[in-house]
Amino acid sequence: MKLKTSIAALGLAGLTAVATACSGADTGPAGGTARDVTQLELTPTTAAAAGAVDSVDWLLEDEPDSLDLDTQGGSAGRTVLTNVCERLYQLQPDMTVRPWLVDKATRPDPKTLVLTVRDGVTFHDGSAMTVDDVLFSLRRHADPDMSEADEFENVTSMKKTGAHEITVRFKEPDALFTKALAGDAGLVYQQKRVQEQGKDFGTPGQADACSGPYRLASWKSGDSVTLERYDGYWGDKPLTRKVVFRWAEDSAMVNALRTGAADGAYTDSVGTAAALDGKKGIDLHFGPSTATLDLIPTERGGLADPDIRKALSLSLDRAGIAKSGYGGLAQPWATPVGSGAWGYAKSVFTAAQKELTGAPASPTPADIARAKKLVQNAEHKPDGPIVIGTDSTQGRLVIANGVRAALQQIGLKAQIKTVPSAEYGEFYGDKSARADIDVLVADWYISKSDPVGFYDNGVSDDSNNWVGFHSTAYDAKVEQAKRTLDDAERAELVVDIQRRFTDAAVWIPVAQTPTALALSDKLTGPPASMAYLYHPWAASLGAKKG
Amino acid sequence: MTAVPADAPAPAPTVRRVRRPVAALVATGFLALVVLAAVFAPLLAPYAPDAVDLSSSLVGTGGEHLLGTDASGQDLLSRVLYGARTSLVAPVLLLALAAVIGVSLGTLAAWRGGWIDTFVSRLTDVMYAFPGLLFVVLIIAVFGTGVTTSVLGLGLAFAPTIAKYTRSVALAERAKPYIDAYRVQGMGGARICVRHLVPNLARSIAGYLVVLFGEALMSLATLSYLGFGTQPPSSDWGLMVQEGQSAIVQGALLPALVPGTAIAAVVVAFNVAGVHLADRLGTRR
Repeated sequence: MKLKTSIAALGLAGLTAVATACSGADTGPAGGTARDVTQLELTPTTAAAAGAVDSVDWLLEDEPDSLDLDTQGGSAGRTVLTNVCERLYQLQPDMTVRPWLVDKATRPDPKTLVLTVRDGVTFHDGSAMTVDDVLFSLRRHADPDMSEADEFENVTSMKKTGAHEITVRFKEPDALFTKALAGDAGLVYQQKRVQEQGKDFGTPGQADACSGPYRLASWKSGDSVTLERYDGYWGDKPLTRKVVFRWAEDSAMVNALRTGAADGAYTDSVGTAAALDGKKGIDLHFGPSTATLDLIPTERGGLADPDIRKALSLSLDRAGIAKSGYGGLAQPWATPVGSGAWGYAKSVFTAAQKELTGAPASPTPADIARAKKLVQNAEHKPDGPIVIGTDSTQGRLVIANGVRAALQQIGLKAQIKTVPSAEYGEFYGDKSARADIDVLVADWYISKSDPVGFYDNGVSDDSNNWVGFHSTAYDAKVEQAKRTLDDAERAELVVDIQRRFTDAAVWIPVAQTPTALALSDKLTGPPASMAYLYHPWAASLGAKKG
Repeated sequence: MTAVPADAPAPAPTVRRVRRPVAALVATGFLALVVLAAVFAPLLAPYAPDAVDLSSSLVGTGGEHLLGTDASGQDLLSRVLYGARTSLVAPVLLLALAAVIGVSLGTLAAWRGGWIDTFVSRLTDVMYAFPGLLFVVLIIAVFGTGVTTSVLGLGLAFAPTIAKYTRSVALAERAKPYIDAYRVQGMGGARICVRHLVPNLARSIAGYLVVLFGEALMSLATLSYLGFGTQPPSSDWGLMVQEGQSAIVQGALLPALVPGTAIAAVVVAFNVAGVHLADRLGTRR
């Protein structure tokens, strides 16, 4: 036993010695080449492709759990399936929404939506898409057991009212419904095939039931998913014939992309993108996303006092965190929703964001003085140390350390509690899992390109309002915004809601994280924004040269 | 007349050169330095081990930071110096606990024999068959993460190894005539074990424990690496390796390399010194 230990340890020592020699005057490239966080430009698209490609190898961060997003949604499954299945509305790279399998939509009154379904669409077995398929799909999504059921809470009825027409009626006017139809609530499945496959629908070995530009050629469990171009597609013909998906974690993904073993990937982790920055043969594109890094105060109560939360927000070095933990590929941000959520009234939201002063990129001495005063005058100062919950991924750990330093700077004690990454997800859904922490270092994104979709989380009885923020006026404004169909009017309401949310520091925003697309320098075309989760991105992928 | 063997005759003087245990001396010297560094960490460390400086993230070796910094800008030299404290003290506590349990069980089995020996032997066999780390992870799942749980869990996991070893040396010791002499004098079994048998085993067991020290340190570092041991901002070496791992892909090797090298060097040094010491104390005869 001791011999083995000695050999193992000697081996490790030898390896590290070699590595030391190799690393030489290593100064840590991330420290030396981190981007300037203020200069990060987000572009929703990449240059249009000019030439055809036979096959592309694409990487996911993990294998899809299922290709039935109604039962098990996940970004890996969504990244694949968005090329196979189509939605009634489609999210565009610039995060706007437009009708897709819907030919025309009318609102005879604010509580009624009439959808005219597109003609000439065929499923991958060649049969035509009918209004019955669409209605079946909508009712399937609305089933209380399905993940999209909450999008249909305001719906009173969905009926076929013509050969190509479905009429949806609402309890109250619903500004977010068409946006939800550009997400998983708008997926259209072939009724016959879904019913035939029953519980096996969406599992390896089953054919798809969709009409998109690609068909599911194979899913070899544990190995790969292959999509092939569907020649009977009603829209533009994709330039790439075949896309093969495999999966790899951070360092394996970086190596595969660097060595050319894979042609591209949308990286969930900004750290992966940081490792690929400036590498030969790889183009990195950054696009808008709704995702942000936030601190979410919990029920435990260490941050129950709004003044303490505001003080923490004022003293947090967001620029330092973005540079240290995310290689400069995150942007200090003053709201809990990324700019990708601005699917309308962009100028209004941009201006409103600039007016917020409670979340400085780098705290000035005046900010620190203000924070200290807030702590001094706080009604409920925390008794013990404020416990920061995180896992030990680099970015989150840097945020946790940044929060610890900020709290210490304003005279409060802090303590970090880490859990293994496999347990980290429980913090979000399980109240008892976060019983020992006062604040969670969190990633958050919304699927709809409308900030109202986020500010729901601050409503008094919302399950994500962990800290117990209560404001009748806030609740009323959110409800009003959800019912306001006019974009400009809704944007004004959202700005007001955003100000109330940030004034009370219900959550403490840290930074927005862009979507990062790593692509071989021979390829171009797909969107660089978060739209890739809901847009057939592979259909626009092709060679740079014709 | 006692049955205690007479001292061995002094070796005849020879002109043969005595081979000096250079490796063991170097290892012992290195360990002494590590212990001194741990003791005087507050005087030696240029920064507080948990001082965050986000403007100095992943800085390489240089004048301000001799061994560079980690992603949060914490000085690696200061952290590795302070980290020596938990990294050295925790294995000592772990082995102390394992020794108390293991020596008691081993001595009991050897002394009483019969069904007690069979029971203890089968119990230690079962514990042996169960991977130690998995056993500790199960304990941690029940009692929660933290250095105390890790030490207790690993203490229990190491105990069967020591029990088995103690039993084998105690069996040989028990057969010696001086034990019979004490019995004839009417001395009780417990007294003979505590006053005479175990103290006579001490040299062997101590040598064995030194050899186990490296393994204990590595096991604790593994638990910290897996996120079950100490919590940030602790500068435990295993935890430091875990925290530094993500930076490797960005080309910054130091945050994982510095604590990793420290663990490897101390484990090797303990094994080299431990094997030599065990030979000298008669453990391996």
